[in-house]
Amino acid sequence: MRRPIAFEVFRYAAIALAVAITLVPIAWMTSMAFKPTAEWQATGANLTWWPKSPTLDNFRFIFGQSSTALIVALERTAAKPILSSLLSAGFGTLIAMGAGTAAAYGLSRFKAGGNLPLALLQLRLFPPMAVMIPVMVMWTFLKLNDTWFGLALIYGIVTLPFAFWLMKTFFDDFPREIEEAALVEGCSRFRVFLKVTLPMMAAPLASSALFVFILNWSDYLIALLLTNREWATIPVYMASLSSSMTGQLYGAKAALGLIAAVPPVIAGIAIQRHLVRGLTFGALKQ
Amino acid sequence: MASIEFRSVTKRFGNTLAVDEASFRVEDGEFFCFFGPPLSGKSTILRLVLGLERPDSGEILFDGRPVNTVGPAERNVAMVFQNLALFPHLTAENNVKFPLIERKIDPATIGKRVGEVAEKLHITHILHKFPAHLSGGERQRVAIARALVRDPVAYLMDDPISALDARLREETRVELKRIQADLGRTLIYVTHDQEEAMSVADRMAILEGGKIRQIARPADAYDRPASDYVARLLGAPMINILDATAVGDAIELAAGAISLPSAAVPKGTTRVGVRPENLGIVPGSDATVFEVEPLGGFTVVTLQAGAERMRALLRGQPRVEPDSRVGLAVDPAAVHFFAADGQSLARPGT
Repeated sequence: MRRPIAFEVFRYAAIALAVAITLVPIAWMTSMAFKPTAEWQATGANLTWWPKSPTLDNFRFIFGQSSTALIVALERTAAKPILSSLLSAGFGTLIAMGAGTAAAYGLSRFKAGGNLPLALLQLRLFPPMAVMIPVMVMWTFLKLNDTWFGLALIYGIVTLPFAFWLMKTFFDDFPREIEEAALVEGCSRFRVFLKVTLPMMAAPLASSALFVFILNWSDYLIALLLTNREWATIPVYMASLSSSMTGQLYGAKAALGLIAAVPPVIAGIAIQRHLVRGLTFGALKQ
Repeated sequence: MASIEFRSVTKRFGNTLAVDEASFRVEDGEFFCFFGPPLSGKSTILRLVLGLERPDSGEILFDGRPVNTVGPAERNVAMVFQNLALFPHLTAENNVKFPLIERKIDPATIGKRVGEVAEKLHITHILHKFPAHLSGGERQRVAIARALVRDPVAYLMDDPISALDARLREETRVELKRIQADLGRTLIYVTHDQEEAMSVADRMAILEGGKIRQIARPADAYDRPASDYVARLLGAPMINILDATAVGDAIELAAGAISLPSAAVPKGTTRVGVRPENLGIVPGSDATVFEVEPLGGFTVVTLQAGAERMRALLRGQPRVEPDSRVGLAVDPAAVHFFAADGQSLARPGT
């Protein structure tokens, strides 16, 4: 059926608008990251979309080179926060995906664990603030405070429900006969999971892991409360990019924001092939 | 190789009785077919044999040894699933190899066995492809190859060729029968297609709602159905089941269009079954021709007599006009008699 042209025009206009609204702030951040101090501090009529004299000063600045235009020098560079974010978000994702996948599989196949799905959902119904203070006390007691692994552990716990629910849906949809075929052909339950289920679940696993990673990567609150100095993450460090003499260091923040956008984007591109479903096509008769 | 025996096996799913007190014995080397409409318990029986389900009561024996608590891998039964269940992330070759690798067979033997099976099923040229790139018929063959490649006690097939088109299905079932005969292995086959069941099985079990209604050789089940249910399921066009009315010295069917002498009809008969091929058309005016379907070698004539409609299967292409009046001829020796509960009644004097 052909739709009227007016409808098509409207449709594409709506899409264009949505894309523009999404991209404008990112474009602005990108532009600002490459502006010298005078330009990103400019106001009113002096504002431009394109940097008039593009520079890498902002990037040099957050990695410790003092800037000629800024009289402040940073106490700490962005290197450690980037490492902290990578480690805590990365290992947090591993914990959530590992435990979540195992729990989801068990629950989907053996109906084990009874109330676990609801219990895990309840974990998400708490506002994180309500539990963060007790967690802070516990983490201090366990000497996990201000460590990347302490942060990774709490990230794993907090995002576990997401990993679990996503994976459970995928496991519920998984064609049962294929696992049964593997059982009949001589696999143990664990071998079935390892050799048949997991390889076929590569796509859902990858997309769920990306989702969980982005949640962890962009957390501010938990990192703020649990990493006061040594292992501050990118968001916490970004908040500290200001001084009483200069105010907010927007150029440096934009540069850091651009860097922070890189890992999720790379991960997204890497698994793009898997984000498209349909891997199971051809296994079963239609 | 093994015989497979069920002793009063019952399996429930919640409140649904999937298999009800099933007892049967599949002999070693037999081609045994389970046949029945959807949801009659055929697939559940296979899953019980495979060990994918545990019976609620009763015993399952392989070669006389109880296997109720033995897991699927240890039962060593090979299976072709209804939807094939090929592993989509493996090539056809690795699909076929899979059971051998899982059983830790040495690579040289694996290569040899896969080669042999691939040749037997004519899939050597497609072994490098993934299931998604195979046609329906090719996938079917790969799934069958995966079952044939190892040395199981029995092969199980759950409606394995139902997705193929009619011609390919006929070819494949003939091949299957051949392969089974060559291998001399027990094969349990499930189908909802009566023609398929009749054509391949040494013996067949006819199921209704989880109950086994009859176990017999196909020809015997056809000639001596245990009940009108079995009679209806076997044969196409379907058997004509007509209400019997006693009128004087005779039993009349279809408003008097057919009349049988009382002496030839067992006591307690309420319905009579006449196979379409046993219903002949002669000059006369017993019934009206409702419709004529010429099928080439045969012609199906649908007849109306009183409130009853029946079908006759005639050889060749006889000249029969719709709406004309014809006479009916029935051989009393080829007629089936059923009691009010549907059970078959023996012919008097037999």
